[in-house]
Amino acid sequence: MNAIEIRNLSKSFRGMHAVDNLSMTVPVGSIYGFIGENGSGKSTTEKLICGHLVPDKGSIKLFGKDYTDAGVRARVGALIESAGCFPNSSVWANLMMQALNLGIKNRDEEIKRVLKIVRMEDNARIKFKSCSLGMKQRIGIAMALLGNPALLILDEPINGLDTDGMRIMREIIVDITRNLGCTVLISSHILGELEKIATHYGIIRQGKLIQEMSAEEMDARSRVFTSVKTPHVPSALTVLQRRFGDVRYEDECIRVYGVDDTESIVRCLLDGGQKVSEVQKNKIGLEEYYIELMSKKEEA
Amino acid sequence: MENSTTLQFEKPSFFKRLKGMLGVDFYRLFHTPLLYIFLVIAALIPALVSMGAMGGGAEGAATEATAMFTNAWQIVAAKGPLYVENDIGDYANMNMVFIFGGIMISIFIGHDYKSGYVKQLFTTHSQKQDYMISKTLLGAFSMACMCVTYLIGGMISAAGTGLPFTVNAGSLICAILGKMIMSLGWASLYTFINIIFRSKFGISIALCFVLGTGIPVIGAAAVVGNTPALNIFLYGSSVYACLSSSFVSVIVCLAVSVTWAVIYNVLGTVILNKRDCY
Repeated sequence: MNAIEIRNLSKSFRGMHAVDNLSMTVPVGSIYGFIGENGSGKSTTEKLICGHLVPDKGSIKLFGKDYTDAGVRARVGALIESAGCFPNSSVWANLMMQALNLGIKNRDEEIKRVLKIVRMEDNARIKFKSCSLGMKQRIGIAMALLGNPALLILDEPINGLDTDGMRIMREIIVDITRNLGCTVLISSHILGELEKIATHYGIIRQGKLIQEMSAEEMDARSRVFTSVKTPHVPSALTVLQRRFGDVRYEDECIRVYGVDDTESIVRCLLDGGQKVSEVQKNKIGLEEYYIELMSKKEEA
Repeated sequence: MENSTTLQFEKPSFFKRLKGMLGVDFYRLFHTPLLYIFLVIAALIPALVSMGAMGGGAEGAATEATAMFTNAWQIVAAKGPLYVENDIGDYANMNMVFIFGGIMISIFIGHDYKSGYVKQLFTTHSQKQDYMISKTLLGAFSMACMCVTYLIGGMISAAGTGLPFTVNAGSLICAILGKMIMSLGWASLYTFINIIFRSKFGISIALCFVLGTGIPVIGAAAVVGNTPALNIFLYGSSVYACLSSSFVSVIVCLAVSVTWAVIYNVLGTVILNKRDCY
């Protein structure tokens, strides 16, 4: 069973297609990294799943049921753009209201439980407006966690957070999936952070899902390369291009793609009368993969 | 921990959903100052009205103001069911609660949208009809409470006017009951207006104010005269609950209030379902 199954979903605003015939599948228990540039349709897709927007066409199924089914919706939590809390009410009061809405019986215990998960136990009585950005994001997650959700939708939860805030958020998300069995759909621009937690990826561009893959598939697609620094770039580049297939000058160094045998590269350069100042084995991460994919689409 | 085969989705009943939504709304109502401020305002309005009636101003104004009322209970309801009145005093009664009630509901619902809390509600099992019903009931309750504080404030204020308290007790009770029942209809109208304008609650407040003062009905009455046909409107029925009311007035108020509440709730639910949340 899939947690989310979207087929041919479309949504436009005043004739502009924000989501265009999008189909995607989020497996149960996964952390699905939803990637795309600004205005690509990530937030719109998430809002459609949450029922905040009305789709023009297409179907959304959550755990095999229509997304409007109240039974399924009762087990969906979301943090879309902001926490959606009343600024003049305390953190506790905001959580209490959501707990009342969900019809939770042991409300006090449940609120304490979610506050503990997001590490906010000591800040329950302060007003929401007095919280820092990182705290507000964590409160948003706590709101979403009330009532033991099976699906959590998080829109850019780490944006604007400092390094420590990002680490805490990352740990919370991993905890939620491992310990609570929750499926997480998370969008973010910070691909390095996403790479550390995601088990699946979906890449969206201009409202269309252009690629969907598991972290293992992403790993397989990631290309290794060796970067070489040399004082005479043009001649070294010629020597390497003669011997190896994909050699490019990028980021102030020569990159030999598909080769991780540093010894043969160094020998080739020395045989060609070149000097070598630095050699390093590398692998294309999610960020580089994404940039490359986007530039290919741009060219196409 | 659940896995994909043990995941359970229990569909909440309509009453469970509504109870949850009402729980949120009433928790917020009692834990924020908004209601209390408006209860105080409702209690102060008759004091201000009776100050005018006592002639708290220049001598000329005092004569004019004293003429506003001939009976102390006119602070609560008008003498008769007249939609076009000659005296401003006939408009200055418990009907003013509906004007301030509209402002209160607009602020309450506007903050749902402004804070983004409405996202939290609609992400979970809450349905759009639950939202409409809950807000209508909350508004009706708030305005009914405002009617009570208005009545208390009115009684205290009227005691100082020196005007006679002679009145048919049955008619007075029917008038008060009728107006309190009308709170439901008014609340549904204000909820409907607010789900159209959402976070732009300045527009909602202005519109609620205009409708609450009964200007459209008074305008219509100026053309067609004081016809009972105007009772089909919320303002019409609110005026119909007066010091010459009988039990029929209560029935009329109940029928009109419930009918409009149903109409506005259905229309509001349709709009919420067809439009994006925010």
